[in-house]
Amino acid sequence: MQLILLLLFFLLALSGCRGSSAQPPPGYITIGIESFPLQLDPRFATDANSSRVGGLIYNALLRVDEKSQLQPELARRWTMPNARSYLFELHEGVKFHDGRLLTAADVKYTYESIGDAKNLSPKRSLLKALAGIDVLDSHTIRFRLSQPHAPFPEHFTIGVVPAGTAIGPSGQPPPGSGPFMLEKIDPGERVMLKANANYWENRPKALGLVFKSIPDAMVRVLEFKKGSIDFLQNDIEPEVIPWLAKQENASLQANQGTTFQYIGINCSQPILRDARVRRALAHAIDRDAIIRHLLNGTGVAASGLLSPLNWAYNDQVPGWPRDRAKAKLLLDQAGYPDPDGDGPRPRFRLSYKTTNIDLRRRIAEALKEQLAQVGIELEIRTYEWGTFFSDVKKGNFHLFSLAWVGIHDPDIYYQLFHSASFPPNGDNRGRYSNAQLDALLEDGRTTTDLFTRRKIYGQVQQILASELPYIPLWWVKNVVAHKRNLQGFVPYPDGSFVSFKQVSVTP
Amino acid sequence: MRRYLLHRLLLLVPTLLGAITLVFFLIHLVPGDPVEVMLGETASGADKAELRRALGLDQPLFAQYGNFLLGLLQGDLGRSLYEQASVGQLIAARLPATVELTAFAMLMAVVISFPLAIGAAMNKGKINDRAALTFSLLGLSMPNFWLGPLLMIVFAIQLGWLPVSGRGALTSIVLPALTLGLGMAAILTRILRASLLQVIDADYVRTARAKGLKEQLVWLKHTLRNALLSVITIMSLQFGSLLAGSIITETVFAWPGIGRLTVQAIQTRDYPVVQGCVLVIALSYVLVNLLTDLLYRVVDPRISYDK
Repeated sequence: MQLILLLLFFLLALSGCRGSSAQPPPGYITIGIESFPLQLDPRFATDANSSRVGGLIYNALLRVDEKSQLQPELARRWTMPNARSYLFELHEGVKFHDGRLLTAADVKYTYESIGDAKNLSPKRSLLKALAGIDVLDSHTIRFRLSQPHAPFPEHFTIGVVPAGTAIGPSGQPPPGSGPFMLEKIDPGERVMLKANANYWENRPKALGLVFKSIPDAMVRVLEFKKGSIDFLQNDIEPEVIPWLAKQENASLQANQGTTFQYIGINCSQPILRDARVRRALAHAIDRDAIIRHLLNGTGVAASGLLSPLNWAYNDQVPGWPRDRAKAKLLLDQAGYPDPDGDGPRPRFRLSYKTTNIDLRRRIAEALKEQLAQVGIELEIRTYEWGTFFSDVKKGNFHLFSLAWVGIHDPDIYYQLFHSASFPPNGDNRGRYSNAQLDALLEDGRTTTDLFTRRKIYGQVQQILASELPYIPLWWVKNVVAHKRNLQGFVPYPDGSFVSFKQVSVTP
Repeated sequence: MRRYLLHRLLLLVPTLLGAITLVFFLIHLVPGDPVEVMLGETASGADKAELRRALGLDQPLFAQYGNFLLGLLQGDLGRSLYEQASVGQLIAARLPATVELTAFAMLMAVVISFPLAIGAAMNKGKINDRAALTFSLLGLSMPNFWLGPLLMIVFAIQLGWLPVSGRGALTSIVLPALTLGLGMAAILTRILRASLLQVIDADYVRTARAKGLKEQLVWLKHTLRNALLSVITIMSLQFGSLLAGSIITETVFAWPGIGRLTVQAIQTRDYPVVQGCVLVIALSYVLVNLLTDLLYRVVDPRISYDK
């Protein structure tokens, strides 16, 4: 009887439970990703993999190129008739995957459905400055802003969906007009795209793409070794990189990225209020040693938030080479002499908060050791992400370490360092305040001339390099591993997959 | 029997209500905010407040709890805060994978543990017995996050017999089920061996032997059957915890089950999904326990639930 019951249960479990097949069709490229895309509809996508996969399904008015600059995509031409309006002329003959023609009405609908409060789009707040959208003819559209807002063109990179696309309970993403079309979603497991044979630019060379979600970094590497994954980007443990490089049939590249790792400082804390102490901390840290030994070379010592790939990067800003003598001198000048020379007593103690991820803990240990050499005692506190981030937002820290990902427009400085951006109104978590910087940041967001903006943000970078409300650590490199038979992939600083439209597979 | 069943089914209501109440308040008390995750770093405080209001997250906690219970009474588990899908749809898509993995892990545990335990009890103190006890010790000591990758390296990479991860061909279930099932096999081996050794000296076993019954039949019909009660208890408890506790194995093997859905929802503070997953896990746990109580009667007809 028991056996019968057991067998019945197993048969029930087996029947109808599996829908996916193991092998992707020939000519498809399998890409290992760390997390499953939560929402492919570009009006709602906020997680990185939804945006990256969605970037292949949907076209936008503009797209960010491999140099982090905005380039026209659906727009044949775009102009700014005045500081408060943007005029786009669209390519003709662009079709959605369901065969409908893409027109200005679709663009208008996409942006208006994001702005419609009842749709609960998390992107609604991005379009706050938008006063109205005018369809001038079927392929010409104008966006009007309520006031000049220089970073607004970033939001023209949101994918366009067909007019009238409902936000329904089915959860099925709407069709796009991009180089690949959605073929199948196995929830939590993988997303399959097939090449759009009628793509208006050029037909993609690969027949299709499979994005396979594998949360464990080591397992992704094992899948790559076995050959069931053709491509990996980032989220690769630094210690396996040398091993990966030795694998036959594997091609590995590490390129400059834009992800910025930093130490955040609580500038309202009595010791850290003094810029000399902050500079001493920056001089005490040996970034190169950490990059070499703990990151296996997957970082580049950073001089500030903007990487050399950003159009507003100021190459005159000095870096922070390790200089223990200078660090000690700055601390002496700030009124914190070493009480016992090389003895065990510190000048002062600081706490350093980070997450409980293994690599973060090891980096914290290295920082502790390096700061101890100039007489600063660092108390490391590691937390689960939610608790850590909650403390950071509340300003409950001396020092913490985090990274900024996907930086394009330098207006992000307003969010991070303007005195009106203290939480919850922004991310000035260290409560840094500087009237000169505030004025520059206000100018930077209302000036639309690129040359003037570059000058403004050049000054911003100089001030921040001297004042150091953040201690720059490194820009994380983009690490890409792929099979040698994949040709044509162009790495993007923000990890975009958009160049898969030109990737080919040689047999 | 019918009254007992009805009584147990009625008890389901307060049990599930307790579990879901506990989880509702715990997940809301944990630091972290879904709106922060949804809007990202650059949204202003006003934008966050607006979305919080639109999602009903600005209401007092008890009002949110009331709304949730009201929805539940109408069979509505709510909608995911991130995915454009109902919680019911998300769970329905993932539950089969978890049930499948749990069932196979259970099957592997039984297939491994029963012969080992019987062999050990029949040869107490001899090499078979020691081997079974060593296996049991090893099985209990190996954590899944270590055993999983080890099995992958041996069977998928070195020998190339099986896929590394994912839920594809039928062979893809072997490694995750083995990883999950080995720990349970170790427990079952110990419990079954101990039960068998207790029963083996009972009068009815001696009588069976005295009346000339074949040794094989003595073991199968008299000894094993009477030793099964404690094993069934452990199996049902383990089955429940396997359903809920396969999170690590599902993560290591990229198995798209309810464990991974729960972890992902906890990380993003997707409250409705966490609540829905816990409800389903609690329900399956309670139902498996009920089934076990009914199974006792099948194994041992002396057990009666009638007053």
